[in-house]
Amino acid sequence: MPESHKISRRAILAAAPAAAALTVAGCDKSAAQPTKRPRIAALVTEVRRLSHGEVILDRFLEGFGWESGHHRPQVDLVSLYVDQFPESDLSRERAARFPQLKIYPSVEKALTCGGDKLAVDGVMIIGEHGKYPVNEKGQTLYPRFEFFQQAYEVFSKSGRVVPVFNDKHLSWNWEQCSKMNGLARCIGVPMMAGSSLPITWRIPPVEMPDEAVVEEAMSVGNGNPDSYDFHLLETIQCFVERRKDGETGVVKLQALRGDAVWRALEAGNWAAGGWDPQLFEACLCRSHMLAPAREGFNHVYPTPADMARMVKDPVAYRFEYVDGLKATMLLLNGLVGDITFAARIKGQSEPLSTLMYIGGGNETQPFNFDALVWNIEQFFLTGKAPYPFERTLLTSGLVAAGIDSLDRKGEWIDTPHLEISYSPTRHSTFRRT
Amino acid sequence: MADTAKAPRKRLAIITTVWKYLSHAQHMGDRFLVGYPWEGRWHRPEMDVVALYVDQKPEGDQSQIRADEFKFKVYPTIAETLLCGTERLAVDGVLIIGEHGDYPVNAKGQVLYPRYEFFEQCVDVFDKDGRGVPVFNDKHLSYSFEKASQMVAAGKRLKFPMLAGSSLPVTWRLPSVEVPLDATIEEALMVGVGSSDPMDFHALEAMQCMLERRRNGETGVKAVQLIQGPAVWQAGKDGRWSRRLLEAALARSTSMSGNATKDGRPQDLTHSGELEELVKDPAAYLIEYNDGLRATLLMINGAVSDFTFACRVRGMPQILSTQFLLPALPNVAYSACLMNKVEEMIATGKAPYPVERTQLVSGILDFCLESKVQANQRLDTPQLNVKYRAPRASQFGGAPT
Repeated sequence: MPESHKISRRAILAAAPAAAALTVAGCDKSAAQPTKRPRIAALVTEVRRLSHGEVILDRFLEGFGWESGHHRPQVDLVSLYVDQFPESDLSRERAARFPQLKIYPSVEKALTCGGDKLAVDGVMIIGEHGKYPVNEKGQTLYPRFEFFQQAYEVFSKSGRVVPVFNDKHLSWNWEQCSKMNGLARCIGVPMMAGSSLPITWRIPPVEMPDEAVVEEAMSVGNGNPDSYDFHLLETIQCFVERRKDGETGVVKLQALRGDAVWRALEAGNWAAGGWDPQLFEACLCRSHMLAPAREGFNHVYPTPADMARMVKDPVAYRFEYVDGLKATMLLLNGLVGDITFAARIKGQSEPLSTLMYIGGGNETQPFNFDALVWNIEQFFLTGKAPYPFERTLLTSGLVAAGIDSLDRKGEWIDTPHLEISYSPTRHSTFRRT
Repeated sequence: MADTAKAPRKRLAIITTVWKYLSHAQHMGDRFLVGYPWEGRWHRPEMDVVALYVDQKPEGDQSQIRADEFKFKVYPTIAETLLCGTERLAVDGVLIIGEHGDYPVNAKGQVLYPRYEFFEQCVDVFDKDGRGVPVFNDKHLSYSFEKASQMVAAGKRLKFPMLAGSSLPVTWRLPSVEVPLDATIEEALMVGVGSSDPMDFHALEAMQCMLERRRNGETGVKAVQLIQGPAVWQAGKDGRWSRRLLEAALARSTSMSGNATKDGRPQDLTHSGELEELVKDPAAYLIEYNDGLRATLLMINGAVSDFTFACRVRGMPQILSTQFLLPALPNVAYSACLMNKVEEMIATGKAPYPVERTQLVSGILDFCLESKVQANQRLDTPQLNVKYRAPRASQFGGAPT
C-alpha cells in the first residue's frame, strides 16, 4: 500500500490523499487497478419513499436526468447499513433488485463488506428521517456522529481512510460536530457535507460577485428549527463565504420566536434589533410560493398585519460575523413555501437576490438531489470535496446555537467556537447547466 | 426617472371573457392593480386599469368587486370600454384576455374563444378615431389562422404595436439557456402536456421562441402533420423524430410519473420501456419549415406534467435542452413575466418581440388540428409563409441582459 494511503499526520496535511486511495481500494488485491469503479457504502437511518436515504441511494442506483441525458454515476453502491426498517422500507426491495448491493447488520460490516478490513472506497452517512428520540430542546437525535464514529473505528483498524459524505448538518450537538471534524482531520479523512440548497438551481442564476463587501444577508423560507434552519443557513453561508477576504466565522447569535420576530420586523434595521427591510422585500419578491394574503387574489404583497395573521410560529436567527457582516435567517411557515436569499453589497444600490429553487409543488421528484448526488459522485471519483466542509461545520454550529438561543428565550449566545475561517471554491458550484 | 416631467399615467382597458379567481384575466389583470414581484422588488406599474369589458359572468365573477375596489368601470360593450363613455378613444393600451369561459368547441377540438371578435371591435374604435393604441392578445391570436392573419394585418394598417402569445417564451428556464442568435439548428423536439387546443399552443410557442433565433431567421412552415397513438412511437423508430432529443428533453423534466410516483425512484423513461405504457394517447405534431428544419412537438400526457425542449445546434458539442418553468398555483409567477412585457410595450410603444411569432404558431396549431381531423394526413401549408426576425436580446425570465 503506498505511503499516502496510510493514516499519518502527513496525510492529513496533504491536500487530497484519498484521490489516490480510491484506486487501490476494494475487498481484494485485484481491485488495485486505476479503472476500477469506486465501491460505496451508505449508512442510512431509513429508506422509504422521499426519505433522504431513498432519494440519494436511488440516484446512485437508477441514475438521474443531468444536463442533456440520463446520467448513471460512475461508482457502485455496494453496501448498506440501515438503522430502521419501517413498514414502507424500500432498502430490501432495492437490494433484491440490484445484485451488487448488500445490506449488512452493522456499520462495521457494511464498511468491511462482511470481511475484517475496510472494503469500500467511499462512505455516505445519511442520517435524516426515521424515528429517533427528541430532546428537551426539540432536536431529533439522528445518529450521524455515531455512524461516523463507527466508520472512524474501521478506518483506524484498517489503517486506511476513504472519503466520507455526511448528509445535512454534522450533528445536533456542537461537541459532536467538533469531534467529528477533529477525528476526520486527525486521520486525514476527506470530508464533504451539507444541504442540497447551495448547489440547486437559482432563479435567477446569480452568484456573489468576487471581492464583494457584503454588509448584510438574509434567507427567508419555510420549515422548522433543527431541520430547515440548516438549509437556510447553508444558503446564506454559500453566498457570504465568497465575500472579500473569505470566511471569518460567527461571533454571536440570537434566535427570536413569536411576537419578538414581528417586533424585529418593525424595528426597521439591524442596529434597532431588526434587519434591512429591502432584503426582506427582495426575499418575498423572489419567492414563487408566497401565500396570498387576501382571498380572491393569487399574488399580493403582505402587510405586517397579514404576516402576523398568517404565520403562527415565526422564527428568526440573527447573527454577526467576525468581520462585522450581519445575517438573518427567517422561518415563516404560512407565508412562504420556498427558500430565498438576499444580500446588501457595498456600492450596489439594489440587493443581490434569488430563489434557491427546489420545486414549486408540481414535481414528482426532489431534483435538488440530482445536483447533490452529482457532487457526491465527483467527491468519490476525485477524493476532493467540491465545496468546503468547513461551511457545514460552521452552519452545524449555527443550528446548535440557534436552538440554544431559542431555548434561552432569545438570549444572545457568544460563539467563539464558531470563529471558523475558510476559503470558498474559486468557481461557482450551483447548478446552472 | 423621477426627475423627468411627470407624464400622465397610462390608461388601460381590459377586454376579457371571464374574470374569476385564477382565470387569466384575474392573475394577469391583478398585476396592474396590486403590482407584482420583479427583480427583487414589489413593482407597481405606472399605469391604471380604467375600463373593463367582461363577456361572461359565471359564478365567482370578480369583475364588479375589482371595479369597486380599484375605481374603474365595467362597460357593457367593447366600444364603450375603449371610449370610457366618451366619443373618443380614451385608453392608452388594451389587453385582450380571451381564455376561460364557456364557449363552443368545433370539430377540430378548438375552443372558439372570441379573441378575433374582441379585437375586431377594438379596431372599429381605432378606425373611427383614426389611431390605434398598443394591444396585447393573450395566447394564440385566434383558433383560425385566417383570422389571426387579419388581426396582424390590421395592426400593420393602423400602425399600432401588438404583442401576443403564451407566457412560456418569457418564463424562467432551467437551465437558463438560449439558442445563440444565427445558430444552425439541425433538429428540435418539444415535450408538452395537457389538452388540445389550450396546452399544445403553449408548447408550440415555447419551441418557436427558440427556433426563430436560427440562421436567416424565421421563414415559415411548408407542411405539418399530427399523428396519434402507436404511430407516434413508430415515427420515432423511423427517425421522424429523435429519441435522443427526447432523452435530453426528459432529462430536464421534474415531474415523471410511473415508478417515480410509486416509490420515488428516478427513471430513464426514454429507454426503460415505461414511456409507451404510461402514455395512453400520444400525439406528435410534425413540423417542416421552409428552410428544411424539422421540429416535433410530442404531447405525452401520463408520463410528465411539464414542458421541456431539446435541439441540436451545429457546432455545439452537447444537445441544448431546458425546461420552461411554470411556477405553481396560486402565484403562477410566470404571468408576472408576461405582464412585464405587456407593461413594457404600453410604456414604450414597442412590442418586445414580434407578433408574427404568435401568428405563425396560431397557424401551425390550426393546421395540425386540421391534419388530425383529416385522418392525420400531412398537409402542405403554403399559407404559413410567415417571415420574421427574432429580437437580438433574450426575453425570458432571468435572461442575461
